[in-house]
Amino acid sequence: MASISDRKRNTFLSYVAPSPGDIPRQEGSDDWLPTELRDLHLAKPRLLPNELVVASAPAYLFSAILPAPTEGSELDMSRQAIFGLLSVTNFKMAFVPLQRHKQETPPQESYQEHLYLQRNDVTLNNIDYVYQLAEGGRVSVSALSGGNRRKKLDAQQKVMSSRITALHIICKNFRLLKFAFQNSRSGPDYGKLIASALARFAYPSRHDLSFAYCYREPYYSMLGKSSVTMYSTKNDWARELIRCGSNEWQVVSADSVPQLQNVLQAPKYTLPPHFVIPKCCTVERFLDLSRAFYDSRAAFWVYGYGNASLVRLAELKPAMQQDTKVENVTLELVRKCDPRHALKLLQLTDRLPSIQDVQRAYLKFRRLCTPESPQEFLVQDSKFLSNVEKSNWLFYVSLCLRYSCEAAESLRSGTTCVLQETNGRDLCCIISSLTQIILDPLFRTIDGFQSLVQKEWVSLEHPFQTRLGHVRGDAAEEDESPVFLLFLDSVWQLLQQFPDEFEYSQTYLTTLWDSCFLPIFDTFQFDTEADRARAVNFGNLVLRPVWDWGEQFAEKDKVFFTNPFYQRQRQEQQNRRSVAIPAGAVMLPGLAQISSIKQGQQQRFTTINPQLFVTSSTIPKDRFLEPQHRMVDLAIWEQCYYRWMPILEIKHGGFPQIDLNHRLLLSNIAKLQRCLELQDFEDLPDIYYERTCEKRPLIDNTTRRRNSIEMIDGVERRRKSSLPATLNGFNSSKLLPEISSFFPFSINTGESEQLIDILTNSNEFLLEGSFMERLSIA
Amino acid sequence: MDKAETLDASNSLADKIATKNASTNSLDTADSKSSSIGSKQGVDVGAARDTPFVYLDGEEDQDLKNDVTYVCPFRGPAFGALTITNYRLYFRSLRDHDPPVVVDVPLGVIARVEKIGGATSRGENSYGIEIFCKDMRNLRFAHKQQNHSRRTVFEKLQSYAFPLSFSGRLFAFAHAAASGPSPSPAENGWAVYEPLAELRRMGVPNDMWRITKLNEAYSVCDSYPVVWAVPKAASDEFLRRVAQFRSRCRLPVLSWIHPRSQATITRCSQPLVGVGGKRSADDELYLSYIMEANVQSDKLAIIDARPSANAIANKAKGGGYESEEAYKNVEIHFLDIHNIHVMRESLRKVKEACYPTIDDSKWLSAIDGTLWLKHIKCILAGAVRIVDKVETMSTSVVVHCSDGWDRTAQLTALSMLLLDPYYRTLRGFEVLIEKEWLSFGHKFQQRIGHGDNRHSDADRSPVFLQFIDCVWQVSQQFPNAFEFNEHFLITIIDHLYSCRFGTFLYNTEAERVAEDLKHKTVSLWTYINGSLNQYLNPLAFSHGAQTVLRPIASMRYVKLWKGLYCRWNPSIRPQNRIYHRTRELLALQDQLIKQVSDLRMKTSSRQTAQTSTRLASPMH
Repeated sequence: MASISDRKRNTFLSYVAPSPGDIPRQEGSDDWLPTELRDLHLAKPRLLPNELVVASAPAYLFSAILPAPTEGSELDMSRQAIFGLLSVTNFKMAFVPLQRHKQETPPQESYQEHLYLQRNDVTLNNIDYVYQLAEGGRVSVSALSGGNRRKKLDAQQKVMSSRITALHIICKNFRLLKFAFQNSRSGPDYGKLIASALARFAYPSRHDLSFAYCYREPYYSMLGKSSVTMYSTKNDWARELIRCGSNEWQVVSADSVPQLQNVLQAPKYTLPPHFVIPKCCTVERFLDLSRAFYDSRAAFWVYGYGNASLVRLAELKPAMQQDTKVENVTLELVRKCDPRHALKLLQLTDRLPSIQDVQRAYLKFRRLCTPESPQEFLVQDSKFLSNVEKSNWLFYVSLCLRYSCEAAESLRSGTTCVLQETNGRDLCCIISSLTQIILDPLFRTIDGFQSLVQKEWVSLEHPFQTRLGHVRGDAAEEDESPVFLLFLDSVWQLLQQFPDEFEYSQTYLTTLWDSCFLPIFDTFQFDTEADRARAVNFGNLVLRPVWDWGEQFAEKDKVFFTNPFYQRQRQEQQNRRSVAIPAGAVMLPGLAQISSIKQGQQQRFTTINPQLFVTSSTIPKDRFLEPQHRMVDLAIWEQCYYRWMPILEIKHGGFPQIDLNHRLLLSNIAKLQRCLELQDFEDLPDIYYERTCEKRPLIDNTTRRRNSIEMIDGVERRRKSSLPATLNGFNSSKLLPEISSFFPFSINTGESEQLIDILTNSNEFLLEGSFMERLSIA
Repeated sequence: MDKAETLDASNSLADKIATKNASTNSLDTADSKSSSIGSKQGVDVGAARDTPFVYLDGEEDQDLKNDVTYVCPFRGPAFGALTITNYRLYFRSLRDHDPPVVVDVPLGVIARVEKIGGATSRGENSYGIEIFCKDMRNLRFAHKQQNHSRRTVFEKLQSYAFPLSFSGRLFAFAHAAASGPSPSPAENGWAVYEPLAELRRMGVPNDMWRITKLNEAYSVCDSYPVVWAVPKAASDEFLRRVAQFRSRCRLPVLSWIHPRSQATITRCSQPLVGVGGKRSADDELYLSYIMEANVQSDKLAIIDARPSANAIANKAKGGGYESEEAYKNVEIHFLDIHNIHVMRESLRKVKEACYPTIDDSKWLSAIDGTLWLKHIKCILAGAVRIVDKVETMSTSVVVHCSDGWDRTAQLTALSMLLLDPYYRTLRGFEVLIEKEWLSFGHKFQQRIGHGDNRHSDADRSPVFLQFIDCVWQVSQQFPNAFEFNEHFLITIIDHLYSCRFGTFLYNTEAERVAEDLKHKTVSLWTYINGSLNQYLNPLAFSHGAQTVLRPIASMRYVKLWKGLYCRWNPSIRPQNRIYHRTRELLALQDQLIKQVSDLRMKTSSRQTAQTSTRLASPMH
C-alpha cells in the first residue's frame, strides 16, 4: 500500500457532496440522476413492526477512510461516495443505497447477515458521538481541530446553527460512518434534519424510550435444546454449588426473605434476586452486614474449585469506613467456609483502573481505530505502537489477566479468594469471569460461556444500561465505561494463547460486542434484575435473550461462532500431544458417541436435590490454563477493532484463511469418516481423489446439489443459480473460497458452494465432538 | 529456557534420525522457538553416548574447562563445563540446575569477545569473558582468577571465531572435507539454482529478451553473475558502454518478467550522473529498450529505494539518479528506505529492547522507538508499490539504490515473492535467495563479517535479516500462501552466521567460483532439503487462488518477530498450537484416505470376483 507511506500525495479531500454532474453518467440512462428526490422512493429502509421513520434525507455515504486510490488517478469523489437515502428511525440509523443498475454495483452486504440490520445500518444505541461539519463551501476534513467547523452533538442536544454539510458518526463498536449532504443553498438543510433527529432519538433520557418497549413481537424461545443456565432461579445457583462441590454455602432468594418483601425494609437493600452466602450465617445476619457495603454486596459466592471458593465483595460505604469490624466479620464468615480457613483478599480498586480510566482508555484507543481522514490515519500510523501504549487499553487488559491469574492461582492452591471492588459490580465481574475461564473448561464452551455471562454479569447485575450508555441523562456520561469490552478483549487474548481450548471463536466474541447495542435483546439492556422485572411488568417488555442466536443470524453465520481448532476433551497429559495416531484406531462412532453424551449429561443435567449435596466437585482439575499476561504477550484484536477500516482489509489474507483451512480439513475428515462408517463412497472429498489419483466417478450434478440442499437447512435460499465452474474444466471446487482478513465481517465477494459444503461438514464434526477424542478412547 | 538453549549439533547422524522420524517427531522439531542449530534428536543421541553433544564432521575439540560459570540472565549463574571446538562453544551446567543449563553457539555467531574484570576484581563472577553474538544475545562466562583458565579460552575463541583475522579458514571447508563425497546432483543444494533453467521457467529468451554470457569471466561487472537476460535490442558491445555509466558497472539486468503482460523488473545501480549532471545516450537508449520490451505500457517506472535527499547527495560522489528530462517517458519514485548504517543502528536498539530483559510497561514504545518496524514497513510498502506497477499498471520497473546490492535486492526479491507463487514454495525461495541475493552480489561477507574480528566495521548491516523479516511479515498476513514455515526462515538466519555451510560465504559469485565453494563446502540447501518435513507449513494451501499478494504496509500490521528476536528469553512462549493441531488433523486425514482407499480396493476386488458387470455401474 504505497499510498499509505506517501505523504506528499495530494490527499486533500473536499467534503462537499458531488454535484449531480460529477457522477459519471451511465450510458443511455440520464433520467436516473438524483437531482430530485424522484427515485428515492426506491430506497426505503426495511422497517420492523412498530419502527417509525423520524427523518429521511438524501445523502452520500463515504468510505470510513478511503482505500488507497490507484496510482495516478485523482481522488474521485463520486467513486468513493454512494448516494442513497439516509433515515433515522426510533430504532436505527439506516442508509439505503440508491443504485439504478443493481447488477453493476459491487455487493454491499457483508458475509455476516444480520436479520435486523443491513450493512449500512446502525442502531441508535450504538451511536456514541456525532460530529457535525459545517460551513457553506469546502470544509477540509484534515482540520480536525476545526473549531467552529466541527462540533460534537451530545446529550445536550445542540444542533449546529449553521448549515451542516456532513456528519461523522462514531459508534461504540468502533465503526465510523461519514455522510455528506447535497449542498445547494436554496434546498432544505438535510444535514440539520438528520442531526436534529439524532439529537432527539439517539440520546434518550429515560430507558423506557428505547425501542425495546415498542418492539412487541412475541418471542418463542429456541434455547430449549442448549443448556445456557440463566441463573434466574434458585435451582440454577444450587446446581452450580453442586457442580463445584461447595458444601459450605447456601442459596438465598430474595422473594423468600420476609425483610426483602417488606415495603418499608426492602428499599434499604439492593440485592439481586438470588445470591449465595455462607451457610454458617443466617440470612438476617447477612442482611444486617450487607447494609454496610455499597449496593448491599457483602460476600457473594460465585464459584468453587476444590475446597476453595471465589467470592465477590463490595467495599464499605464511606460512612462505615471508620469501622472495619463489619468487613472483618464478613471475611471471617467466608473464612469459615474454607476447611483450611485460608483466605486471600484481592483488592481490585487499588490494582485495577477505575471505570473512568477504562472509558478514557477506550476513547483513546477507539480514536486510533476510527481515523476520520487518511492524514489522521498516517499520523497515527507513524507512532502507532506508542499511541497504543499511551491509550493504556492493552495495559488494562494485561492487568485484568494478571489479577485473574493471581486469583486462579490462589484457588488452585486451595485458598479461597475474595475479590473486592467498590460496588462489586464492575471489574469484579471481569476478574471473576476470567478466573473461571482460566480454571474451568466448561466456561470455554459456548453454553458454558453464556452461562458464565448470565451468572457473573447479568444476574449479579453489572450495570449494563449505565456503562454502555443506553440512557444518556445529564451526568450519565461519567458513568459510561465499556467494562464488558475489556472483558471480551481479555477473553480474546486467552483465545489467542490457547486456540484449541475454546469452543467459541473470535467472531463470536466480536458479534457479542455488537449485540450489546441491540435493544431488542434484553440481556445487556438493564442495570439490575429489578429494573428488568419492572420493564416486563409495567412496560410490557418482551424478554428475548441474546443467546438465542437464531433470532439474529441464519445458520450459515452461526457456524462461525464455533472455533475449528477446539478439541473438546483433549487429554491433558503433556507428552501425548504429539503422539501419532496408531493405525486402525478409528472407532465406530456409535460407541464413542454414547459415552461422550453420558459425560455431558453428567455435567449438565444432574437432577437437583438440595438435600443431597454431593461432596466433591465434578470440575476437572487438570485443565486449567496458564496464560501470559504481560504487554509483550498481548496482541490487538484486529477483527473487532479494525474491521470497519477498508484500508486495512487484507484481501485473501489474515486469520480467516487458517480458520477456513481448518474447517476444510475437518470437513474432509468428516466425509472420509462417514464413508468408512457407511461403506458408501459417493461423497468422498476432493482431497481423496487428488491423493490416490483415482478417477472421480461422474455424479449427476443435480442429484449432488439436491442432496446437499437437504442437508443444510436454511442455507439453500442463498444458492446461486449458476453451477460451480467444474463444467469448464477448471476445478473450482479445489479453491478455497476467496475471503479477506475481516471475514465474516467483510463485504461478501460471492460465496461458493464449496464454502457451504465445508461449513456444513466441519460443523458436524465440531458438534459431534472430535474424532481425535474417539481415537484416544480407543 | 532449556528448550531455547538446549542446542546441540545437528549433524549427520542426528539428521538421519530426524529424517527417519520426521513423520512422527516433526511436531517437536518444528517448534519454531528452538534454534535450528540443534534439534531434540541430537540431545538424545548425545545423552545416550554420554557425550555432551554430537560432533559434526570435521569438528575437533580445542579446549575444555570444567570450572566455568555461565552467568545466565534468566536462570542465574550456572557452574559447569565449557567446551570449545573449531565450530562451536558448548556449555553444560554440572549441578544445581534441572534441566541443565546448556549453551550451544556456533563460533560464527560470535561478533566480539571481551575480557571482563582483572586480576584484582572482587565480587562473584566479575572475572571472565563476555561474548557478543550476532543473533541478538550476549553470553557471559565467569572464570576463577587463580587457575588462569580464562586465557586459553579467550585465545581459542579469538582464533576459531575469527579465523580470517588469524590466517585460518572458515569451518565450512573443514566440515565439507570431512563429510566425504558430495551428494548426488538431486540432493545437492548447489544445484538448486540453475540460472538458465530459472530464466526458461519465466519464458526467457523470448521475442524481446535474450540471454548473454558477456560477463563470462566477470570482466564487465565483477559483482554480477555470468548469465544475464537483457533486451534483445541491446548488443553486447552496447551493454559494455551502458555499464560504464552505472556505478560499479551494475547495469540494468532482468530479474523477473510477468508471464502475461511481459512487464519486467530489472535491477541496477545508480547512474553516474555526478554534480555536473552527466548524461549517457547509451544508458538512455538502453532504458528505452527495456520500456519497449513491454508493449503494454509506454512508461517506465524507475524505483529509487533511497530517500530523495540521499539520492541528490550522492551526486556529489559522482552518483545520482535519472532525471526525468534526460530519460524519455520515465517516472522516478523515491521509496525513502534508509541506508545500511541506519538499519544497523535500528537493530542494535531492538537488541537493547529484547535482550536480556524486557521492560514490559514500556515495551510498545520501546519497539516503536527502535524504528525497526518502520523500516520494515517502508520496504514492504516499496515492494507493494512495485507489485502495483507491474501487476496493475503493467508497467516495467527498474529498481536501484546506490550500488544496487542491498536495498535493491530487498525490493526485487520481495516484490518477486509477492508476484510469483513459485518463490513462495520452499525450493522457489531457495532459488530466489540464490538469484537475487547471491548471484547479484549482495556482499554477505562484508555485511555479516564472517570470521572477521572487526566487529565495529561500518560495512556490517542486517540487510538480509531485514529481508527475511519482511518475508515473515508477509507470511503473517497470508498464513497459507507459503509452503515453508517460520522454522525454515529461522534456520536460514541461524546458518547465515554459523559458517557451517558455504552458501552465504564471500561477497560475489566471482569469488565463490574462484574459491570453488561448490566443491569445497556444503550448501545450506543440501542440509535443509535433506529433512524437508520440518520446514513445511501445514497450513499451506497449494490450490490458493491468490497468485499475487498485496500485504498491507501499515504499522497496524507490522509486528515484531518475537519468535526470532526474543527467542532466547524463556518467558516468550511460542504460539504454535494451531500449527500442531493442523499437523494432527493432516495426519488423521491421510490415515483415513489410506483406509478408504484400502477398503475400496478390497471391495472392488471382491466385486470383480463376484460380478464383473456391477463395477461398470456408478456406485451409489
